[in-house]
Amino acid sequence: MTFTISPPPHIKEGVSVKSLMWSRFIVLLPVCLASIYLFGTPAIVNLLAGVLGAVFIELAIEKTFKQKVTISDGNAAYLGLLIALMVPPSVPFWIPFIASVFGVGVVKHAFGGLGSYMFHPALAAWVFLKLSWGSTFMVPASIPQLGGLSDLILEKGAGFLVDASPIAMIGVLYLIARKYIEWRIPFTYLLTTVVLVILLGDPLSYVFTGSFLLGVFFIATETSTSPITRSGRIFYGIACGFLTVIYGYYTGNYIEGTFYGLLLANAISPLIERSTLPKPFGGVEA
Amino acid sequence: MSDVIKLEKLPEKAIIPLRQHDGIGCAPLVKKGDEVIVGQKIGECEGSELAYIHSPFCGTVASIEMMPNPGGKRILSVVLTPAECVQSVEFVPEKNAPPSRLIEIIKEAGVVEYYEKPTYLALKPGKRIDTLVMNATFPLITHAYLDSLDKVLGGFRLMLEAGGIDRGVIIVRADDKESLAAFKNITFEGKPLTVAPLIGKRHADYYFEDTGEEIIVLAGGKITYTPTMMNLLSADVMGRKIPLGREPADAHVVVCGVKSAKAVYDAVYEGKPYLENAVTVTGAVNNPRTVFVRFGTPIKDVIEACGGYKGEPGKLVVNGSMGGVAVYTDAAPVVKNTTGIVVQAKDEVVRDEAIACIHCARCVDACPMNLLPTRIASYSDLGRYEECEQLYAMNCIECGACAVVCPSKRHLLQLIRYSKLQIHNMCAAEAEEATK
Repeated sequence: MTFTISPPPHIKEGVSVKSLMWSRFIVLLPVCLASIYLFGTPAIVNLLAGVLGAVFIELAIEKTFKQKVTISDGNAAYLGLLIALMVPPSVPFWIPFIASVFGVGVVKHAFGGLGSYMFHPALAAWVFLKLSWGSTFMVPASIPQLGGLSDLILEKGAGFLVDASPIAMIGVLYLIARKYIEWRIPFTYLLTTVVLVILLGDPLSYVFTGSFLLGVFFIATETSTSPITRSGRIFYGIACGFLTVIYGYYTGNYIEGTFYGLLLANAISPLIERSTLPKPFGGVEA
Repeated sequence: MSDVIKLEKLPEKAIIPLRQHDGIGCAPLVKKGDEVIVGQKIGECEGSELAYIHSPFCGTVASIEMMPNPGGKRILSVVLTPAECVQSVEFVPEKNAPPSRLIEIIKEAGVVEYYEKPTYLALKPGKRIDTLVMNATFPLITHAYLDSLDKVLGGFRLMLEAGGIDRGVIIVRADDKESLAAFKNITFEGKPLTVAPLIGKRHADYYFEDTGEEIIVLAGGKITYTPTMMNLLSADVMGRKIPLGREPADAHVVVCGVKSAKAVYDAVYEGKPYLENAVTVTGAVNNPRTVFVRFGTPIKDVIEACGGYKGEPGKLVVNGSMGGVAVYTDAAPVVKNTTGIVVQAKDEVVRDEAIACIHCARCVDACPMNLLPTRIASYSDLGRYEECEQLYAMNCIECGACAVVCPSKRHLLQLIRYSKLQIHNMCAAEAEEATK
């Protein structure tokens, strides 16, 4: 009789990187459906172009450098979907495609691939688009704002694809409950933003858009670009809120405020992590 | 009442390792062909940390050779061919022994704690001790001793006397209702025991002052404190966090097990050396149950007593799925610190490929010792052990919780253990350098 030997532990939880990524992907699908309902064929084309661009460049890079192909872990597809959701519906299909190629190819793989990037690839890709076609394609037809409750369900004012229906991202609460997504960052981010916006006297309806909620629940909680320490994650959420509101208050555009604020927060995340290293259990003797 | 049996059937051969604790191995007192009887001392050793070995069987010595051990390595063992005889050495009970004699009896009986330390040494660490904590947080093991709870408590009292310790705490899992009820219903030394919960900052000291009693039972959290989790045990029960590199004795706490308390009772009041204990068998066997096994019985025979394997076994884990050792053969014997055997079926065996860390911080949230497991493991992987030390790798209690929750399936526990070993070696080398 043969027995397997291995180091402990001999039991493991079922959760894997694959399940983490694909669950996030699936939770974003209702928003995609809402945007397709609202904008029709251009939305479908853009979403497909984004996902395909990301998967294509990941495959190309891994084949070229003879690495293990990791498309099935869902990270590239998820990033591509995020990028496609962050462009207006009116852009030609090659815009999300190029953005995905840049996001996954340069920001993810050039920095070392899964888990090693220091800026969120989707954010960096969005900034790349903004810098390249800021005055032509990347201007949404209008800036969405919350007019009434119905706008939470279906926002008719055009914005980015993700602004179509903020409520469609409700599935993220399930992921938080399952601990697939960390709760400290979205909670403190949301709280800080709301408190600051009320203090500064801006209407909250400017803030609660699909883009902002995407930032709170999906981009800010990206594991590679946020601190790992417990208290660090709380400070990171607060920092995200501050940076978002500072940009949003002075420009009046909380959507861009969210994305630029998060990019800056990504940059200070290592600093936050280093300054919040946990103290040893029981202390150290002098 | 859970299913508890006593393994009466004699094994084909018994393998009695000559080292069943963390210390110096014993030298055999018998040679091939000798007849031994129950309770006969077959291994004796000299030095400071020792635990004598006695034969739990009556039979003939078949050989003395290196044999498999549940620790994973081969160890010099006495192999016996047990025979159907009831002959034993004369067990001499002793009543009203003074503390110094009690320590002597415990030492002679070869009682070893569940964390591999000989009990006589654990009780007398040479430091000021004010509390003895009995770790009864292994529910199935505690259940097996509920029938003889008065003896366990008697043994606990003897240990307090032997160590000259004033107060005793028995810690039970809060969700182990059966054991808690048993402790509530028993009268010990003419009065019922105090059973209290550990809530917030109310640690053992609070209840000692409150009740004025010497022995109390506390219901802790839902944690089973495995041998490496001593510091956590001391922090949770006594509210005394132990600084880096120290042991519970430095916080005036000594830990003992349920089994050793019973063994001490037997040694003093019945004169018996430490010959058998309870082993829980769980997982893919036909009748998972707790079995009282004599030391030296191969695991194979214990599994048989539990109805044999269910399906094809894939992995045999001794002492818990979280931190236990996967042994390569079921011919390895049960020894003094064996607590449980877990059998995994072939399709239950975890087979994963480790991939890159995604910094999800699940391990950070899971760590009971407030460490950053992923960072320590990464530095360990790179061979940068100084950085591991700066992240307090030595505080790790090796519970394995980080590796269980890791979505990237990294070998966190293994890497951290390796860094601990390297840090230990570095410190030892430095100390040697300093003495030159």
